[in-house]
Amino acid sequence: MAKKIIEVKNLRFTYQKDAVKAVDGIDFTVHEGEIFGLLGPSGAGKSTTQKILIRLLKGYEGSISYFGKDLSTYDNTFYEDIGVGFELPVHFSKLTGAENMAFFSKLYKKQVDVGPLLKRVGLYEDKDRLVGEYSKGMKMRLNFVRALLNDPKVLFLDEVTNGLDPKNARIIKDMIREFKEAGGTVILSTHLMNDVEELCDNIAFISSGKIREIATPRALKLKHGRRIVDVEYQHNGQTTTETFELDDIGNNADFLNLIKTREIETIHSGETSLDDIFIKVTGEQIHE
Amino acid sequence: MNNLTRLVAGEFQRLAKYKILQSGLGVTVLWVLVLFLIGRDEGGLFIPLFLFMDLTMMTVLLIGAGLFYERQENTLKTLLITPTKLSHIIFSKLISAVYIALQSAVFLGLLGYLFFDSTVKFYYLLPFTLLIALTHAMIGYTFSVLVKDFTGLLAAIMSYMILFAFPSIFYALDILGDTWEYLLLISPTHGSMLLVDLSFGKSVAPALIILSVLYLVALSFILAKFIVFPKYIEKAIKE
Repeated sequence: MAKKIIEVKNLRFTYQKDAVKAVDGIDFTVHEGEIFGLLGPSGAGKSTTQKILIRLLKGYEGSISYFGKDLSTYDNTFYEDIGVGFELPVHFSKLTGAENMAFFSKLYKKQVDVGPLLKRVGLYEDKDRLVGEYSKGMKMRLNFVRALLNDPKVLFLDEVTNGLDPKNARIIKDMIREFKEAGGTVILSTHLMNDVEELCDNIAFISSGKIREIATPRALKLKHGRRIVDVEYQHNGQTTTETFELDDIGNNADFLNLIKTREIETIHSGETSLDDIFIKVTGEQIHE
Repeated sequence: MNNLTRLVAGEFQRLAKYKILQSGLGVTVLWVLVLFLIGRDEGGLFIPLFLFMDLTMMTVLLIGAGLFYERQENTLKTLLITPTKLSHIIFSKLISAVYIALQSAVFLGLLGYLFFDSTVKFYYLLPFTLLIALTHAMIGYTFSVLVKDFTGLLAAIMSYMILFAFPSIFYALDILGDTWEYLLLISPTHGSMLLVDLSFGKSVAPALIILSVLYLVALSFILAKFIVFPKYIEKAIKE
């Protein structure tokens, strides 16, 4: 059994000026080498949960243990071993990319060579340009490099592919996967189903400050998905679709007859998207 | 080298990159030009007044605007997730503000001494500059953690100038009479002005000097303990 990295029990948090709880009694556990996704729409409580976990928000109720020790007992050395990727760019705009990385890097005991990271995310050629001249996507990639500066054990990522084109989003997702394969643990907050589906070992659906369901993407699909098969075929010069129950399909005479006698164009199992499952479980739309 | 030293080095790097050091130098050059235009005989009288404005208003503006800009860039937040103490983050900005103030004080002090026959007591000027700049940096911090936006910050600075700085300047220019002095003592700028005056050889009652020093020390402590430190994180992480 993998080691527990983070264990959250009955976590509650209310912002001073709000009457409603931003986080309302959530429980979850993240194990070593796992990518754990907090999935939910804006205002669901996922960023608040992240801020509590990285010790930016205090005054919460419930308990959080980090590597088996109460999170509130850690001092600032806690930050030596974690990396945080914020949702918005977090750099000095009048310094270059390289100057920004050099400044933040010096604040940690453990430092990595930034050059290969910048090369990997496609920023090496632009490292001597002012960050203020970067595009949103470039700033987000620099955010990700910033999160890896201290060779962290645990990564906290908030909407990490926000504003990235598909090619660069792929690079970041590959790097996250490699981080996990090297033994790292990731807590990923996002509203993007693709990210969750591709990366996460476990997902927590969060809405209105509560976790509605926690499971692997596959388990969620098996539990909530539609078990059907759609067959498209040619009939009288037109494309026709028929739907069959997936259960015992090998003995379904109509299905077997159809695939024997017709010119089949496509066959799809009726997998439900995580989007649909999220709406089914929480009753809320995820897209922002 | 500890993290405080690294943060201070970073502050100076940014002060140069954001052209704040150069702007400060520009203001000082402007003071020099004005002083030479006023002439050798009268110019010396204005040096304490110019220094007073540099140490008070410029320091408030430097810290307030700097923090506001950094909050917009979310860099205050990202510093909070480094293995750095909050006190080091706050002190690094104070140190840079105090350095700029000391630079102005030394420059204007030497200018007065060498070219305007001013009496300059550097043994008062340097520690009092440190105290005045520290207090006003803390006032700048207070404004920036209490106001909502840049307009609010400007309004706070303008109100401070009108309520506190201008009466002290009017008093220095004899527009306000001596009867106002005790009322003016509730203003941190007036205590600052008395200490600057003392540094430039003006006679100030010992009781007023002690009162001014105690007031500035107490105000810095109160603002730091009850406003700046408790509110800093809340403000830094607000998006």
